[in-house]
Amino acid sequence: MSVSYLFETYGSMYLQALLNTWGMTVVSFIGCMVLALVITIMRVCPIAPLRKVGDIYVQIFRNIAGISLLVFFYYAFPYLGILWGERTCVILVVILVASAFGSENFMSGINTIGVGQIEAARSLGLSFTQIIKDVVIPQALRSAILPMTNLLIAVLLTTALGSQVPLNPKELTGMVSYINTRDVGGILPFTISALCYAGTSFAIGLVGNRIDKKVRILR
Amino acid sequence: MSAPADSMSMRDALYETPGPKTKHRVLVGTIISSVAILAILALVMVRLYEQGQFSPKYWSFFGKWTTWRFLLEGFAGTMEVALMAGTIALVLGILFMLGRISKNRVVSTIFRVIINFFRGIPSLLLIYFFFLVLPGYGLKIPSFWMLALPISLTASGVLAEVFRAGVNAVPQGQVEAALSIGLTDGQVMRKIVLPQAIRYVIPSLISQLVVVVKDTSVAYVVSFPDILQNGRVLISNYDALVSVYFVVAVIYVLINYAINQASVYAARRSGTKIIARTEESPV
Repeated sequence: MSVSYLFETYGSMYLQALLNTWGMTVVSFIGCMVLALVITIMRVCPIAPLRKVGDIYVQIFRNIAGISLLVFFYYAFPYLGILWGERTCVILVVILVASAFGSENFMSGINTIGVGQIEAARSLGLSFTQIIKDVVIPQALRSAILPMTNLLIAVLLTTALGSQVPLNPKELTGMVSYINTRDVGGILPFTISALCYAGTSFAIGLVGNRIDKKVRILR
Repeated sequence: MSAPADSMSMRDALYETPGPKTKHRVLVGTIISSVAILAILALVMVRLYEQGQFSPKYWSFFGKWTTWRFLLEGFAGTMEVALMAGTIALVLGILFMLGRISKNRVVSTIFRVIINFFRGIPSLLLIYFFFLVLPGYGLKIPSFWMLALPISLTASGVLAEVFRAGVNAVPQGQVEAALSIGLTDGQVMRKIVLPQAIRYVIPSLISQLVVVVKDTSVAYVVSFPDILQNGRVLISNYDALVSVYFVVAVIYVLINYAINQASVYAARRSGTKIIARTEESPV
């Protein structure tokens, strides 16, 4: 397959696939951050049942295989009277799985602060809200930059699950199987998709590293 | 990834010892949230019941030995691929790491690109490469390898960085001391650095197996009989989609939970830290 033929036939589809992958990544990551924050608040709150639910949530979703969750959402939920579109299913699965890791990142961000600082803040007379607002959150956010950069890359790679349901428009991984079932694709479609993924990951990594260098707390 | 024990202490440090008023409020909150959680669970159960999902025809075949034998065969398939892919990834990971830390700028740049390439693409895409692209060039590979090779390649990129973190954790003074008594670079790496680095990253290697196990779950793409694929066969035999997918999902959670616990245990025993993907530098 020649490059020109590939671009003529599938060029606009490829562009759509790239935008679709990026779009799903952004939406999933935003949703994942919101949910991870909620789960983390549950896990550090003083109410025992909520803590437990938060912990169980994280254990379930960081250990489940994404594809087995996706088939459940896409093929099993209609039997329970819940009908969702392919895109919604993929995004929800990515959010559920990624938010478990996101919450772990927040928790280890909180854990690096150290008990001593909290005790010091309290003995200075800071209130609970002041401790959270002025001591915990600024430090936890800063040390979470690098893990969250990696999580964003992981979200990008997880959207490849979209190739397992009839997504329209396709995403980058689905494109490779689409072209190969229609044409003798050869190595070219794979290379384009791979470079799109690797390039995006690389760009995310660069930006994340730069932000991290700027805000990192040297201990 | 934090061990649950030390996150507890930080969780509790956030709050002062509660007085009677706070204790009362926490109690009220506990009761309300418990009721809410139970209500949600009940709602899910009612929904399942209304859709007839508790009907014995969806569950009775789990009482048969053949069902479990079939699922166990799938489990064996999953673990076979995962262990093979994990082993290959270990070897490749060390090789990539050695290339990455090479003093030769050209070599280290090449391996940096290789590592970042494999860490930056989804394993599913690489599986399609082995499944759809290579056969087009006349390369026929058994489905086991169509699964094991791509998974090991994507994992080796991550493992290379884990090993590098391990190598960096070995004190520089030891390397200098070894060089000063006349060991060559290769001897230093083989006799001083690698043995310690590998011991340091063992917990991280175990926890990385979780990722490999998860990656194998797309085995049905290449029609390899893993646990999910065998589950699909059960579904077509018994026409029981929801219950089978549910059981398969639970099995995945249990396998990976066990692996994670093993890595936490190993980390605690050796006093090292688990280096997760999230903690390494992304580029």
